[in-house]
Amino acid sequence: MNRSYRKAFTVAAAIIVLFVVQTLLHQTHSFAAPLSVSSSADTGTSVLNFGGEVLNGIQKFISFTGFRNASSGNLIMIAVGLLFIFLAIRFDYEPLLLVPIGTGIIIGNIPFFQDGGVNLQLGIYQQGSVLNYLYYGVVKGIYPPLIFLGIGAMTDFSSLISNPRLILLGAAAQVGIFLTFLGALFLGFSMPEAGAIGIIGGADGPTAIFLSSKLANGSIVHGLQTKNLIGPIAIAAYSYMALVPVIQPPVMRLLTNKKERKIRMKPTRAVSKREKIIFPIVALILTTFISPGALPLLGMLFFGNLLKESGVTKRLADTARTSLIDIVTILLGLTVGASTQADVFLTPQSILIFVLGALSFVVATAGGVIFAKVMNLFSSGDNKINPLIGAAGVSAVPDSARVVQTEGLRYDPSNHLLMHAMAPNVAGVIGSAVAAGIMMSFLM
Amino acid sequence: MIAEIQIPTVIEEGIVIAITGYAIVFVALLLLYYLFSSLSKFLTWQIKQNLIKSGRFPKHIKKEDSLHISGETAAAIAMAIYLCRDLHDDESNVLTIKKISKVYSPWSSKIYGINKWSKSPR
Repeated sequence: MNRSYRKAFTVAAAIIVLFVVQTLLHQTHSFAAPLSVSSSADTGTSVLNFGGEVLNGIQKFISFTGFRNASSGNLIMIAVGLLFIFLAIRFDYEPLLLVPIGTGIIIGNIPFFQDGGVNLQLGIYQQGSVLNYLYYGVVKGIYPPLIFLGIGAMTDFSSLISNPRLILLGAAAQVGIFLTFLGALFLGFSMPEAGAIGIIGGADGPTAIFLSSKLANGSIVHGLQTKNLIGPIAIAAYSYMALVPVIQPPVMRLLTNKKERKIRMKPTRAVSKREKIIFPIVALILTTFISPGALPLLGMLFFGNLLKESGVTKRLADTARTSLIDIVTILLGLTVGASTQADVFLTPQSILIFVLGALSFVVATAGGVIFAKVMNLFSSGDNKINPLIGAAGVSAVPDSARVVQTEGLRYDPSNHLLMHAMAPNVAGVIGSAVAAGIMMSFLM
Repeated sequence: MIAEIQIPTVIEEGIVIAITGYAIVFVALLLLYYLFSSLSKFLTWQIKQNLIKSGRFPKHIKKEDSLHISGETAAAIAMAIYLCRDLHDDESNVLTIKKISKVYSPWSSKIYGINKWSKSPR
């Protein structure tokens, strides 16, 4: 038998054993005497009473174990967490995200005693727990702007500055956001919830978390009581971002022919330092004047980029793109994963969000590719665009650009599209943040 | 007879938000596109004026676009400069031959090249 199958079989067997033990413990509990948390008032010294106390203590201990409190939902989510870790390690799918999220899912689904409103300060949703404090950064939308600061400090906008018309591909791919928004409305989600779900189509994890923390956080938004959908939206966004190499290529092949896939684009021009410094300042002012709701995200993105390009704040830029973004990624991944506590996460809404998320990635990819083909109708000679780069308009940086490069090389081994694809890719980041700001201004 | 399709108000409102929102995203990025296309042209024009003022503008260049060099060309030039400047040590290019007082040197002296254990050819 194949080695990986054996491993999968072992994991499945372990889950079944846990499930059986948990079921048995549930059965034994129904025969046992009801538990009292306070100790017995009778302090007699007889052996019988002592035995009863011991039994009571053991039973209380058992009632606090994970085996006693586990539900099938917990076990399913632990299996999902293990799958995430497996995908990250075995197939190298976004390991920096999937390992923290997968571990977070396991941590968030370790069952513990929750009956009778007892607050052990353990779970992520329990006031005062450590995880609850860390989760504060997600709920209040603190982590996403910090991630954007790091992304700005590590992004080179040269390819976009040298060929600015490719910015339009980043705008075209945002069709995924708005069609998913409509899809969610059709499926019966309220307006703010639909807005938060729609942003999955932007293929940008931090933006999805930021917007869902504002629009679908369980409070009253736009005069409507919303459900807490931060966990399902974040997990859907990050899962599909990791699956970009699986989702995008079939759509790209479906919408292009071999001749189009072999189009060679003229090399990008060298960009002066002055242009690189002007870009973040001008883009910051322009985009945030149009969409002030995107200020926390775009402000930090362009601030990070200015730190990088100014050339005089190397230390700050280095910190933003290394230590800071790493720390925030760890906290964000772990807490988002832990927020998938089965009783909150495993709902029919989550399944609908996952279905909508998959469709939104397909629509966004198709939107970018089709728009590139439309642009080609108005271009000639050297200015033709390889429509594959339209797929990079979704803002999964740099994964979708890498997918474009791989697909391009498949049909012409000397046609490197990576640098061309980076332009719509970073434009997609700006576009999805602008779209998030617009959603906020409409729906808050 | 065509049946009238009833669209709920929420969906109608949603369609308006979606169309308006998408249009705003497009306008924002379209403005960025125009701004940076213009900025590039302005900077090139400025370079051209500076070159003309200093008398270094090549007369055969007619289009301003020709002033742009591709990233590949820039990389090739940078590599050439690196190979020329940084790969070798800087030297004075002055050769000095000093005559030393000691005439005899064991260096290449024949006596040291004779090995008494060497086999003689048969």
